[in-house]
Amino acid sequence: MAKSSNKVDLYPYWDQSAPRPAGITEAQEKVAKAAILRPQLIGNAPGVKRSYNWITERVCGIIEAPTPLWWFIALAITATTTLLTIGGVLYLIATGVGVWGLNHPVGWAWDITNFVFWIGIGHAGTLISAILFLTRQKWRTSVNRSAEAMTLFAVCCAGIFPAVHVGRIWMVWFLAPLPNANGIWPNFRSPLLWDVFAVSTYFTVSVLFWYVGLIPDLATLRDRVKSRWAKWLYGTFALGWTGSNKHWSNYEMAYMILAGISTPLVLSVHSVVSFDFATSVVPGWHTTIFPPYFVAGAIFGGFAMVLTILMPARLIYGLEDLVTDRHIDLMCKIILLTGSIVGYAYLIELFIAWYGANPNERFAFWNRVTGPYWWAFWCMMSFNVIAPQLFWVDSWRRNWIVIYIVINIVNAGMWFERFVIIVTSVHRDYLPGAWGMFHPTVTDILTFVGTFGLFLTLFLLFVRFLPMIAIAEVKAIAPESDPHYHPPGGHDHHGDATKTSTHAKA
Amino acid sequence: MSHSTPTLPKPEYVAGTGFLRMVLLGIGAIAMLISIIAAFFMTGKQVAHSYLFAYFYFFTIVGGAFFWTVLHHAVDADWSVVVRRQLENIISSWIVLVILFVPLVFLYPYLWKWLLPETLAADPMLQAKQPYLSWWFAGLRTILIFGLVGLYAYLLRKHSVDQDKTGHPAYTIKMRYLSIPGIPIIALAITFAAFDWVMAMDYHWYSTMFGVCIFAGAVQQSLGTLIITCFILKQLGYLKEVNSEHFHIMGKFLLAFTIFWAYVHFSQYMLIWYANIPEETNWFVKRNEGMWTYLAILLTAGHFILPFIFLLPQWVKKNPLTLSLIAGWLLCMHAVDHYWLILPNYHKDLSPNILDFTFFIGIGSLVFSQIIHSIGSSPTIPVRDPRIFESLKIKN
Repeated sequence: MAKSSNKVDLYPYWDQSAPRPAGITEAQEKVAKAAILRPQLIGNAPGVKRSYNWITERVCGIIEAPTPLWWFIALAITATTTLLTIGGVLYLIATGVGVWGLNHPVGWAWDITNFVFWIGIGHAGTLISAILFLTRQKWRTSVNRSAEAMTLFAVCCAGIFPAVHVGRIWMVWFLAPLPNANGIWPNFRSPLLWDVFAVSTYFTVSVLFWYVGLIPDLATLRDRVKSRWAKWLYGTFALGWTGSNKHWSNYEMAYMILAGISTPLVLSVHSVVSFDFATSVVPGWHTTIFPPYFVAGAIFGGFAMVLTILMPARLIYGLEDLVTDRHIDLMCKIILLTGSIVGYAYLIELFIAWYGANPNERFAFWNRVTGPYWWAFWCMMSFNVIAPQLFWVDSWRRNWIVIYIVINIVNAGMWFERFVIIVTSVHRDYLPGAWGMFHPTVTDILTFVGTFGLFLTLFLLFVRFLPMIAIAEVKAIAPESDPHYHPPGGHDHHGDATKTSTHAKA
Repeated sequence: MSHSTPTLPKPEYVAGTGFLRMVLLGIGAIAMLISIIAAFFMTGKQVAHSYLFAYFYFFTIVGGAFFWTVLHHAVDADWSVVVRRQLENIISSWIVLVILFVPLVFLYPYLWKWLLPETLAADPMLQAKQPYLSWWFAGLRTILIFGLVGLYAYLLRKHSVDQDKTGHPAYTIKMRYLSIPGIPIIALAITFAAFDWVMAMDYHWYSTMFGVCIFAGAVQQSLGTLIITCFILKQLGYLKEVNSEHFHIMGKFLLAFTIFWAYVHFSQYMLIWYANIPEETNWFVKRNEGMWTYLAILLTAGHFILPFIFLLPQWVKKNPLTLSLIAGWLLCMHAVDHYWLILPNYHKDLSPNILDFTFFIGIGSLVFSQIIHSIGSSPTIPVRDPRIFESLKIKN
């Protein structure tokens, strides 16, 4: 922006003829002159401009190009990893929950830890696509599609654990409020049942939201692809989209309503997940700050996972001009903010456990910090609260090595958080005679490892067959889309101020 | 992005604030005088509880305005530039709150019994938390809350007003650097003010959510105060820069924080009700006796359900009048909320007292006399803010 508009006064509010005010040094002035300018949303390097056509070509090109070799290799690896989960689940169903390491004091361990871990990952997608849409954050358009896709895949991974944790999978329909021959109904006062509703509603609305957003881009693909089958498939799912004003108008309305519905849903899902613990009377679980703290933690972990996936994808497909350094910088800031909110919750929890002066509550937290699981607690603390503080430093939010290390520490930290909450609270209860430890079995470990395979497999299929950037939405925030846009220099351009150019003539 | 250099808005000063300030100071003085006279006929507990109720009400509003100001700078927002000066005016009354805290220092035996040696000696539960609930540590926290936020409030307003002269962008960067640590500072200040001054009145009770609950109300109601301030200034012919788009954004935030307030309060209530542990439910049992329970129902309906439904349509948020009406209603509900939080520590059943009103009017007038003074002493908007042009033509 800076270079291309050299005729335009960059500081029209600033009376530069006036002497520098007292209290402002020359160095400060220099920093401020650069820092005050807003970086552009599309185009990584300053001055780089990308046309509508370039955006369409680049994003659709990923799908239209022949499948690269690395993709097959990656898919082979992730699909094989997925077999671990499939095998673990089959073994569990064939044998019973005894194949997991659950024991008497620790009746809930990796299964629910993994469930909460994965369900949390999904939250960043909904935050980016719904909440940032409602608050008109334009930068969301470059990352929302893949983040939403991640939401769906993460919920798939999460859903495995509650579905199979009963062991007798053929009884799982007892979770649903259906009349059955034994007169057994689910307990409507149980947060576990609320969870079934919350997660299934969340998944349904997330799918709808993602799909509605995809429609214009599917139409673009329909108009471009050569293969008859692909044309038919994209065409079917594009629902006869022509890009008429009426279509756009209906689309915008549907998108806004779905965003409005998704926003309370994203809060409710993790709140209800937190109720699974907080409604109990178990010291370490029963604390009132759980709902917002779980939601903040979920967004925190979700953003780390979005970056974990998006940073390599951006590099491989050369999408730096769409997912710019600024996007990464902003996401790092959200990780810093939510990590600090989580830190606030950890510390308030510790403080109130002490302040409440209930010996059991105090013991539960003291045991968490110094007991046999001290290492898990300190992993959680340093991974989730201390590590993201590195993002206070400007240059570290631009250093991809630092970012990649920190976000993976956060990924691990968020798993530890759930493990700490769940296992350390129950492994030493009121009767010292009943105390015990939890040791995961090989099945526990491999079933969890396999879910990463499933997650990545689904993501690889997604990038191969669907546009991973919301083409139409990115174009809508390009400078050319502003009806008052005048190209610098005034020469010809094809920004016709409407979004209907989704149909790239190519 | 247009070629022509946009013209800067002209600095505009609100006239007649000196007179209004004197009127408010007069009302404040009279109300305080009546309160002091009435206090001789009341119990010390009544005086202390009524005073804390009124004080904490305005404390949360000014604290919330501080949060919005630092948030504005920290996220480099543009829409809020034209309303930011009013936020700075509101937080300039922090000094009044510091002075008005002094009576509470003398009223402590009626409010914060944990400071009394005889309570401490008789209560093993209190002894267990004595290192936190001790006079020197509580005092240190109070000084930190007032000192840090006060320093910030002063610096933020000073830089902002200084920028009006030349529009030097370095001021914005300075404010941004200040504001980012300002977010944890105000979050912790409100949390510990809530813990120490309100939650610890019942020093056996505890809830990790309590700080968040008070914070949610503070952020919501300070936004309501901002909306009404802008509306009145507009009615008087000033602040033409603030249009329905800005009101729409403020309305959306008001709706969001109305929901957030209900969410955290519901979570706190539901989790305590569900687990049903006597030491926790005790606090709600007190607040569900006699008339208090109707106040609780009023809060559910009036602080959440009605404003939630009312704020949903777009036109309500775009129209300054309708939005100000609902903001005013919410400010009344905020009083009910804080009354319901604080007074049941003294009264077993609802028993309104003249002091509840006179202290409220007194403290409110004194706080607003300072706000009015600030409104008159600087231009109504930060005329040379780097984001002023974006803010003037915002569309959402």
